[in-house]
Amino acid sequence: MITHELIERIEGEAVLDFQTDKSGAVQDAAIRFLHFRGMEAILEGRNALDALVITPRVCGICGHSHLIATVKMIEDAYRNAGVAIRISDKATAIRQITLSCELIQNHIKWLYLVMLHESGKMMGEEPTVALKALYVSSQVNQLCALFSGQWPHSSYALPGGVSCDPTHIEVMQALKILSDVERFIEDEVLGCTPEVFEQAMRDNEVLSLSGDFGTVLRNFERLKVLDTGKSHGRFLVLGDKSVAMANGIRNSADFALVSEDDSQTFEHGGKTYAKNALYNGEFYEGGPLARALVQERTGITDLYRTYGDSAIIRLSARVAEMVSLCAQVRQLLTSLDLSQPSFIPPPAIESISAEGIGIIEAPRGSLIHRATIEKGKIVSYSIITPTQWNLGNGTASNLGIAQKAMIGAESIAKASLIFRTFDVCSVCTTH
Amino acid sequence: MPSNPAKLRVIWLQGITCNGNTHSFLNDPSLGTLLDSVEFLHHPLLPCTFTLQQLVKKLPKSDILIFEGAYSASFERAGMAMESLLMTLALKTKHIISMGSCASFGGIFKENDPEHISGIVFDKENDSGPLRDMRKKVITLSGCPAHPKWLSFTIDMIRFDKPIAVDEYRRPKELYAYLVHNGCLRNEYFEWKVDSEHFGTKEGCLFYAQGCQGPFTHGSCNKILWNEVSSKTRSGTPCVGCTEPTFPKRELFTTKTYMSIPSEMPIGIPKRSYLALAGAAKSFHIKRLEERLIDDHT
Ligand code: SF4
Ligand code: SF4
Repeated sequence: MITHELIERIEGEAVLDFQTDKSGAVQDAAIRFLHFRGMEAILEGRNALDALVITPRVCGICGHSHLIATVKMIEDAYRNAGVAIRISDKATAIRQITLSCELIQNHIKWLYLVMLHESGKMMGEEPTVALKALYVSSQVNQLCALFSGQWPHSSYALPGGVSCDPTHIEVMQALKILSDVERFIEDEVLGCTPEVFEQAMRDNEVLSLSGDFGTVLRNFERLKVLDTGKSHGRFLVLGDKSVAMANGIRNSADFALVSEDDSQTFEHGGKTYAKNALYNGEFYEGGPLARALVQERTGITDLYRTYGDSAIIRLSARVAEMVSLCAQVRQLLTSLDLSQPSFIPPPAIESISAEGIGIIEAPRGSLIHRATIEKGKIVSYSIITPTQWNLGNGTASNLGIAQKAMIGAESIAKASLIFRTFDVCSVCTTH
Repeated sequence: MPSNPAKLRVIWLQGITCNGNTHSFLNDPSLGTLLDSVEFLHHPLLPCTFTLQQLVKKLPKSDILIFEGAYSASFERAGMAMESLLMTLALKTKHIISMGSCASFGGIFKENDPEHISGIVFDKENDSGPLRDMRKKVITLSGCPAHPKWLSFTIDMIRFDKPIAVDEYRRPKELYAYLVHNGCLRNEYFEWKVDSEHFGTKEGCLFYAQGCQGPFTHGSCNKILWNEVSSKTRSGTPCVGCTEPTFPKRELFTTKTYMSIPSEMPIGIPKRSYLALAGAAKSFHIKRLEERLIDDHT
């Protein structure tokens, strides 16, 4: 039997086409995204700096990631044109702080608005508004705005640095907010300190954590989906240091092996607007789990050894990343050297003709911006979003990551829940 | 104390969007209080009465219809084209809020297909959108995104049945009569024509070289601030004019000049008056404004 399931309450919507057997188990699943906005075409012909305003509008929840990818792309174009461009350590650190804030708020929203809500609903609970989570994510966004002016849709990062020139007052406010966020994660999300959480992952005891994350895991266990959702076990991180991991072996990743495949799109008689992103011709998983595994972070790596790439580890990896990002933001804030320049003016963009690539780690995985610039104007622009890696629609012999994870699920409802563990963003996928 | 009116039944519908207004709305620190006064019949992310599929099937009446995103007649949600979905829900509601610049004027996504994409009442400056005949019940909250407080203000005014004074684009005057320029920390530099040498400094105004549109952009950004703490110009970024029908213009980080005078004047200021004042201001050198604000870095 074939069922079309409209998945809502993600960023945008997706349609899943399920093929099920008599018992209702999922035998095949196709992922379709039906909205398209033509962002790349909107950028062409514009001044390259305008992209700093346009690309954040690719996505309301991860627009800041797009901003940082754009600015890196432009800076890469400067260098490829043979023009020196310098970024102070301070500006680099501030960019990292604001980018990390975006990841943290994203993960909190996903845990509460999507996973706690959906898994609770399947347990027969009446969902309520997760006000405490929304409040704390608005605080994280406030921390970001102390530097970026606003969230969402700031354009404060420019080739050469950042536009803000903070004082210790902003740093103090930021640290205060950060303490509140850390307290929320301890008291509400985990129900324990980060150290106890780390130990629980190593000892395979995360199920007994008392916080809301533990509740999600226990919901998953009762629904018998906790250790389902296995995929290819191939992981890719291109943003920080490039690593591809397959069959448990880590290799440095080569950007030249990245390709896009549009064979499943409407343009070619298919049923989706999303192009697949492939590495070496194959689907690789990106995002918090990939980042933790390639960096061999303890806790997640231990859990992975026990469970493989199943639901429990995708859930744990996003939560563990919230924790480690808070620590990273704290470290960056406390070591910020405010005496350095925020911005070191580069030569005018009109003098630049070159290609540029900007790759960063966004909430859901590696985000790639690539453009050709001619005398400061954008000739062509192409964006590969993280969800194109995870939510690609493959063929029977080469299944996409989430596709493979859903096949074999006992029911459509369970497959849809597994789908959501990937933190689906249809808005980004079909920019 | 006036008695508390019943909860307003609200539908949040999305056209062609990035979800930016949804996330901006979720930033409202008094979200809980706001939610006490509304019941979402549908919302893309919050718990609500109807799923999108149910919404499209039932097409319920409502008190407020919030529309986020640009309009295109053929754009579908849950299989139903906006042409009929938006029109039907609009006819069955008492108030319509155009949330963000895409819904209001077409915004960024209009650029991809200018012929078919527009706002719900306005298409850029022209009132040729699909809901033009219902404009009397539409409140425009332009901005990319709109500020969360602009929405809670509008919902509150509707809830207590207070009249909302609006401008020619149906934007509440209490929110949009201000210019972004009002309240910017760099006003004194603007007055004395001291320009910001480059980005990333506390000093100077961004109007003369960096393209700041604050003096001709309506919005209370620098009055109520973003995320309670800052704004574009406070963080050294030029205002990009996101609340205006002209958004997005081109060359957003450079000031267009004519004979080294900014070619666009602050709203309502005749060029002659501007030049007279600018000439006078420039003839003085104000030492304090030419120095670093804080120079303890040496
Ligand atoms: S930076 Fe912009 S908003 Fe601020 S004073 Fe100058 S022109 Fe006005
Ligand atoms: S400062 Fe200008 S660009 Fe920024 S949000 Fe306000 S109106 Fe929009």
